[in-house]
Amino acid sequence: MTAVLEVANLRKRFGGVAAVDGVSFEVREGEILGIIGPNGSGKSTLFNCILGQLPPSEGEVRLDGRVTTRMRPCDLNRLGVSRTFQLLQIFPKLSVRDNLILAAQEHQGTMLSRLFGRRDAGLTEAADQMVAFFKLDHLADELAGGLSYGQQKLLDAAMAFMSGPRLVLLDEPAGGVNLTMLANLKDRLKAFNKERGATFVVIEHNMEFVMSLCSRVLVLAEGKVLAEGLPAELRANPAVIEAYLGR
Amino acid sequence: MANFIALVIAGLATGALYALVAIGFTLLWQTSQTINFAQGEFVMLPAFFMLAAMNFHLPFWAAILIGLALSMTILGCAFKKLLVDPMLKHGVLPLAIATMALSTFLKESVKTFYSAEASPFPSLAPDADLHILGVAVSWQNLAVLVVALAAMVALQALLNRTRLGRQMQAAAQNPTAARILGVPVERMILLTFLINGALVALASLLISPIYLAKFTNGETLGLAAFVAAIVGGYNQIRGAIVGGLLLGVVDNLSAAYVSTQYRGAIPMALLIAIILFKPNGLLGRAEERTV
Repeated sequence: MTAVLEVANLRKRFGGVAAVDGVSFEVREGEILGIIGPNGSGKSTLFNCILGQLPPSEGEVRLDGRVTTRMRPCDLNRLGVSRTFQLLQIFPKLSVRDNLILAAQEHQGTMLSRLFGRRDAGLTEAADQMVAFFKLDHLADELAGGLSYGQQKLLDAAMAFMSGPRLVLLDEPAGGVNLTMLANLKDRLKAFNKERGATFVVIEHNMEFVMSLCSRVLVLAEGKVLAEGLPAELRANPAVIEAYLGR
Repeated sequence: MANFIALVIAGLATGALYALVAIGFTLLWQTSQTINFAQGEFVMLPAFFMLAAMNFHLPFWAAILIGLALSMTILGCAFKKLLVDPMLKHGVLPLAIATMALSTFLKESVKTFYSAEASPFPSLAPDADLHILGVAVSWQNLAVLVVALAAMVALQALLNRTRLGRQMQAAAQNPTAARILGVPVERMILLTFLINGALVALASLLISPIYLAKFTNGETLGLAAFVAAIVGGYNQIRGAIVGGLLLGVVDNLSAAYVSTQYRGAIPMALLIAIILFKPNGLLGRAEERTV
């Protein structure tokens, strides 16, 4: 399998503190890579550097072999990279369907058609399929701000999928989600990965979620890669247990 | 009864003008946290752009177009680029104070460089009454009501029924996420300033035939529109419309049935009551902001 994402010797310093300190890894096509690590280990900063929301101090990011370091988030989005956030980033006063249409409409047509074209951009059907895929179809016309937190998390993930991305970076998708919603979310992520061949990178603290979803896991500690391997291998790795899981 | 209905219609016409101006307040606040205390003077000024154009012997319709274009350019684009963008970096309060200074600057400039005297302004409608079922309604009030309501309907349609409107809403609700999705947030914010420029030009065109074009026109109108926006709910365009119409009707009925001397006090009493008992306004929603 070819590498969709390659991160080479990435560093991000804030003053004298290196939040990300020489991290290198690659993500292969169709893979679900988990990134775990204690709070403050640099996971979200790493995401922000990969996605152009923070300029890295050093290092390189490549997407399908093309250097994308410092590229703007919206340009990466158009190249097929989307993300979810630790703190929800939905549009609370738009309906669930409109949130989904908005997530995909910028990928279609010219600037003029985006400004003055059909309101739904021909995306209503795709949005309805997506709400059905995430089992939110009964809420399609509700304002996103009126949904429960778990439902908003599902909507956030659905928005990341609307543009038909090749690579999705999910930042703590399970945080604050109840067990029923969590099972639904995991099921949908696996289905999207299998049916549409999308590649995932998932930051998560919920170990059970990571171990049952991801095919490979990267462990960060103090901005560095502490270990990398299969979930079962890492469970037995003493350094990981000491740094993250605790003895 | 006929008198009461005539007063309500006249009140709705005044209220529709307040609403047009209040919508501008709300739009600027929602997209860029701009509180524009010069909004009243923004309504006063376009009438003078139009009068200046007519001084060059241009027809009224051409003067209207020039007034609209200048209003969108100066009160929309230049206002954003030269005052809002540099001041907003220092916070909402310095910007609000800067707009107060701008209000005085615009008023005094018109007084000094154009005229301190009230100037007659052509009307879109004849100066006569229309009699419907025994109720006398002035053509001017009817024109104000129809044009202002049409503008509000068009604006609501733009915001709620077009892709552009959805982009504008997204930029206002969550600029970070909107940017990542590729929504041109800065362009959307500029667009709201241009829309405000167009709304104040329209309000100026409608109000100046009634009150004449004079440099003090913005004083009461700016305050009334600000009160209307707060009464309706500062973060809702529908709130600004409801607040404006309500204030216009209350204003007119209180002048007729209570006292003309207390005409200015009653909207203030309404404002105090709303702040005490419904601080988010009639249709406003509580909102959280990070600082």
